[in-house]
Amino acid sequence: MDLMLLAPELTLVVTGLAVLLIGLFIPVGSKKILGFLATLGILAALALTVTSLGTEATMFDETLSIDALSQFFKIVFLVVLLLVSIASIKYTEGSDNTEEFFSLAIFATIGMMFVASANDLMVLFVAFELASLATYALAGFEKNNPRSIEASMKYFMIGSLSAALLLFGISFIYGMTGTTSIPAIAANAGGLVTNPIGIVALVLMLAGFGFKIALVPFHMWAPDTYQGSPSVVSALLAAGSKKMGIVAAFKVFIIALIALQAEWQMVFAILAVVTMTYGNVVALSQTSVKRMLAYSSLAQAGYISMAFVVLTPMALGGGILYALSHGFMKAGAFIATGAVVYMVLSQNKNTENPDHLDNFRGLGRRMPITALSMTIFVFALAGIPLTAGYMSKFILFSSTIQSGLVWLAVIAILNSALSLYYYARVVKYMYFLPTDAERVSEPLPYTIALAVAVIGVLAIGFWPEPFVHWAMEAAKVLIPGGI
Amino acid sequence: MLPILSLIVLIPLIFAALTLLTKTKQQARAMALVATVAVLVLTMYMYFNFDSTIAENQFVEMYQWVPSLGITYHLGVDGIAMPLILLNAIVLPFLILFTWNDERKSPNRFYALILATEGAAIGVFAALDFFLFYIFWELTLIPLFFMVSIWGGPNKHHASIKFFIYTHVASLVMLLGIFGLYFAAWEATGTPSLDIPYLLSQFQFIESGLMKDMIVLALLFGFIVKLPVFPFHSWQPDAYTEAPTAGSVLFVMLKIGGYGIFKIVLPLLPFTASPGLMINILAAVGAISIIYGAFAALAQKDLKRMIAYSSVSHMGYVTLGAAGMVSLSVSGAMFQQFSHGLIMSVMFMASGVINSTAGTRIMNDLGGLAQRMPKLAVIMVLTFMASLGLPGLTGFIAEVSVLAGSFVNLPAYVIIALLAIVITAAYHLWALQRTMFGVFNEKLGTIVDINGYQTLSMGIIAILILYFGLNPSPVLDMMLTNSENIISLMAVMGV
Repeated sequence: MDLMLLAPELTLVVTGLAVLLIGLFIPVGSKKILGFLATLGILAALALTVTSLGTEATMFDETLSIDALSQFFKIVFLVVLLLVSIASIKYTEGSDNTEEFFSLAIFATIGMMFVASANDLMVLFVAFELASLATYALAGFEKNNPRSIEASMKYFMIGSLSAALLLFGISFIYGMTGTTSIPAIAANAGGLVTNPIGIVALVLMLAGFGFKIALVPFHMWAPDTYQGSPSVVSALLAAGSKKMGIVAAFKVFIIALIALQAEWQMVFAILAVVTMTYGNVVALSQTSVKRMLAYSSLAQAGYISMAFVVLTPMALGGGILYALSHGFMKAGAFIATGAVVYMVLSQNKNTENPDHLDNFRGLGRRMPITALSMTIFVFALAGIPLTAGYMSKFILFSSTIQSGLVWLAVIAILNSALSLYYYARVVKYMYFLPTDAERVSEPLPYTIALAVAVIGVLAIGFWPEPFVHWAMEAAKVLIPGGI
Repeated sequence: MLPILSLIVLIPLIFAALTLLTKTKQQARAMALVATVAVLVLTMYMYFNFDSTIAENQFVEMYQWVPSLGITYHLGVDGIAMPLILLNAIVLPFLILFTWNDERKSPNRFYALILATEGAAIGVFAALDFFLFYIFWELTLIPLFFMVSIWGGPNKHHASIKFFIYTHVASLVMLLGIFGLYFAAWEATGTPSLDIPYLLSQFQFIESGLMKDMIVLALLFGFIVKLPVFPFHSWQPDAYTEAPTAGSVLFVMLKIGGYGIFKIVLPLLPFTASPGLMINILAAVGAISIIYGAFAALAQKDLKRMIAYSSVSHMGYVTLGAAGMVSLSVSGAMFQQFSHGLIMSVMFMASGVINSTAGTRIMNDLGGLAQRMPKLAVIMVLTFMASLGLPGLTGFIAEVSVLAGSFVNLPAYVIIALLAIVITAAYHLWALQRTMFGVFNEKLGTIVDINGYQTLSMGIIAILILYFGLNPSPVLDMMLTNSENIISLMAVMGV
C-alpha cells in the first residue's frame, strides 16, 4: 500500500492541525497569517490531486478506492475550499477564532474527500459525519448573530436525524447482504430485491442523502441555513457539502443498489422534477440574495438528480461536470454576496438583512469587479452560453433527449427559462437601479477568490473538452460498460 | 489565408469590450466607428471575392472544438448569409454616425452594446455549427435587452422583460429541436456532430416521421418568434417602440429568424413526414401577418408603433415567400429581408428625429413638418414609398416576387395577402400626410431639421434603397442561386 495515494488528504490534515496549533500561540492581530497558511496547504493538496490524476488503486482492504470519480470530486471539493479559504482571509480578519474557522473548513473538506473515495458504507458514513460535524460548527461561526445560531441549530437537528436514518438504512443493508463493502453489496443484492426490507433501506438512505443534497422534501433546513450562515460558509455548504451528498448517492445507488434501479429511478424522477420546480418558483419571490441563491441551489440539485433518472454515461458525465461547474458558480455567487455583506456591515454594523437585494443597487458603480463577477455567476447559473453552466446543462439536458425522456427535458428547460427571471433581476439591481452611494474599495481577498471562480466558470464554458473528458472518465467508474 | 469571417465576427465583439473601457463620448463613438468601418471594409472584400453562381458555403473556417461531442468551430457564408452580413456591415457605420451628436447617459456602454449586437448577429449568419449558432443566437438577446432597459422609453422595463422572456423561451424550444436533430442523426450514423451542413444532409435518414416533424416544428417556432410574425409577434411592437432609435435599428438588422427559416427549415422541410402541413403553416402565418400587421398599423396613433406593426406585415412576406416553394418567391422573400432592413432603419431613424425635435410621436399632434424639415421630408417620403412598394425601390421587387412566385402554389393565401396592399398604401400615405404635410402645428415650437451626420447616414441608406431597387442583381443573384438549390431539393422529393 502506498501512502502517497493519500498525499492530498494528509497534506490537509497537517495543514488543519498546524493552523489550529499555531493559532493558539499568536496574537489576534497577526492571525491573518493563518489564512495564508491554510490557502498554501490547500493549494498543495490541489496540486497533489491534479498530478495524481489517472491513478487507480484501492487501499485499506478495499475500503478506499482512488479512481477517476473520486479524483474528480476531490478536485471539486478542493477548488471550493480554495475559493472559500481565500475569501475568508478577509472575512475572519480581526476574529480571535480564525484558527478554528480554517481548521474546521479544512476538516470538513477532508471528510468530503473521504466520502468521494469511500468504497465501504462504514467509511462513507464516518467521513460523512466528519464533514457534517465540522460544518454544523461553521454555520454557527458568528456566535453573536442570532441568525447564525439559528442556522446552525436547524442544520444540526435535521442533520442528526438524517444521519440516524442513513445509519439505520445502512444497518438494514448490512443485515440483508452481510457486507458493508459497496461492490460486495452489488454482488449480493439478491435478497434486497426480493424482500420488502430492501425498499425500506432504500427509502432511509434516500432521506439521508436527500437531506445533504437538499432535495425537496428534505430541503427545509437549506434556505434558513444558507441565509443565516456566514456567506463563505454558505458557499462551502452549497458548493461543497451538497456535492458530497451527490457523490455518496452516486456510489450507493448506482454502484451498490443498482439491483433496485427501477425503484429509485422512479423516485429520483419525481424528486428531480419537484425539486427543480419548487426551487425555481420559490426563488422568484425572494428579496434576500442568499436565500434566493439557496433556492436556486435546490433547483440546481434537481437538475443534477436528472442524471440518476437518465443513467446513461453521457447523463452521468453531464451530472458530474455540473457538480464541478456548480462548485465554481455557486461558491462564486455566495462569495460575491459575502463581499457585498462585508461592505454593508463595514459601513453600518447594525444593518438588518445585509444581503437584501436593495444593497445590490448600483453595485456596478460601487463595486465594479464584484458586480461583474456576480453577473457572470448568475448568468452561468441560468445557463447562458459560453459559461460552465451552459456546457453542463447542454450535456445533461441533451442526454435526457437522447434517452427519449423528452418530457423531462422540456420540464428542465422550462425551469431553466424561468430561473433566468430571478437571476436577471440581480443584474438589473446591480446595473440599472440608481444609487447615491459612493464607490467603495473592494476587499482584495474576495476579489482574488472571485477572479479564480470567474476563470473556472469561463474556462469550462470556452474550452470544455478536457473537463468533459474527465467527467466522462469519472462516469465510467459508475457504469463501466454503460447500461 | 486570412480568417476573414472570424475577423468580421470578432472585431465588433473585441471592440465592444474595449469601448466599455472608454471614458468619454468622443472616445466611445470613435471606437465604434473604427470597428464598424473595419467590418464594412472586410465585408466588402469578402463580397467582391464571393462567387454568387454556386450555392456552397464559402470562406469556410473549421477547427475542432469539443471533439467528444462533435462540436467544431465552423464558419462559412453562402448566398443566404452573405446579403445579411452585407446589410449589417453597411448600416452599422451609418447608425454610429446617426447617433454621433446625441447626448445620452453612459455612451461607452451604449456603443459597446451596439458593437456586441453586430458581432453576435454576424456570428449567427456565419456559424455552421449548431453549438456556435446557438451561442451567437443567445448572445444577440443580451445586448438588446440592456439596450431597451437602459435607454428605452417610458415603458422600457415591461418591454424589455417581455422581449427577453418571449424570445428566450422560443430559443429554448429551438434548442430542443437542435438536440432532437443532433441525437436522431447520432443514432442514425453513429457519430456525434453538431455541424449544420452535415446534420441537414443526414436529416433524411432519420426513421421516425413524428420525430422529424417535431424537430422542424421546434426549430420553426424559434425562428418565427424571432422574425416575428402573427401570432407570436406581441413582444415586437413593445420592444421596437420602447427601444431607443439605435436599438430599433438593431432590432431590424437582426434578421436571424428569417435566416433560420431559409438556411435550416427549408432544406429540411421536404424530408419531413408532412411537408404539406409545414408549408400551410408558413403560408398561413405569412398571409395573416400581412393583413393583420397592415390593419394594426392603420390603427396606430404613435408613428413608431405604426412602423413596428408595418414590420410585422412585411415579415409576413418572408414566410409567405418561403412557403411559395418556387425560386422566384423564395429569393423574393430573402430579398424582402434585405430590403426591409434598409427601409426600416431609415424609417426608425426618421421617427427618432421627429420625436427628439418635436417632443412627440403622436401623429395627430404633428403636421406640416416638411416646411421646417425639408431634408428629412425628402428622405422620409422616399423610404415610405419604398415601404409601401413603389416600383423602382427595393420593397417593390421583394413583394412582387413573393406574391407572383407564391401564386403558383398557394393562390388562396396570395389573394388574402393582396387585400392588404390597399391598406398598406393607406397607412403609409396617411401617416405622411399627418406628420409631414398639411398645416404646421404651431404648438410644436422650434423645429430643427436633421443635422449633417443624420443627413449623411439616412441619405446614403436611402440612396442604396433606390440603387438596389433599380439594380437588385448584386444581391439578388446569390439569393437566386441558393433558392434554386433549395427548390431542387423539393423537386427531388416531389413536393
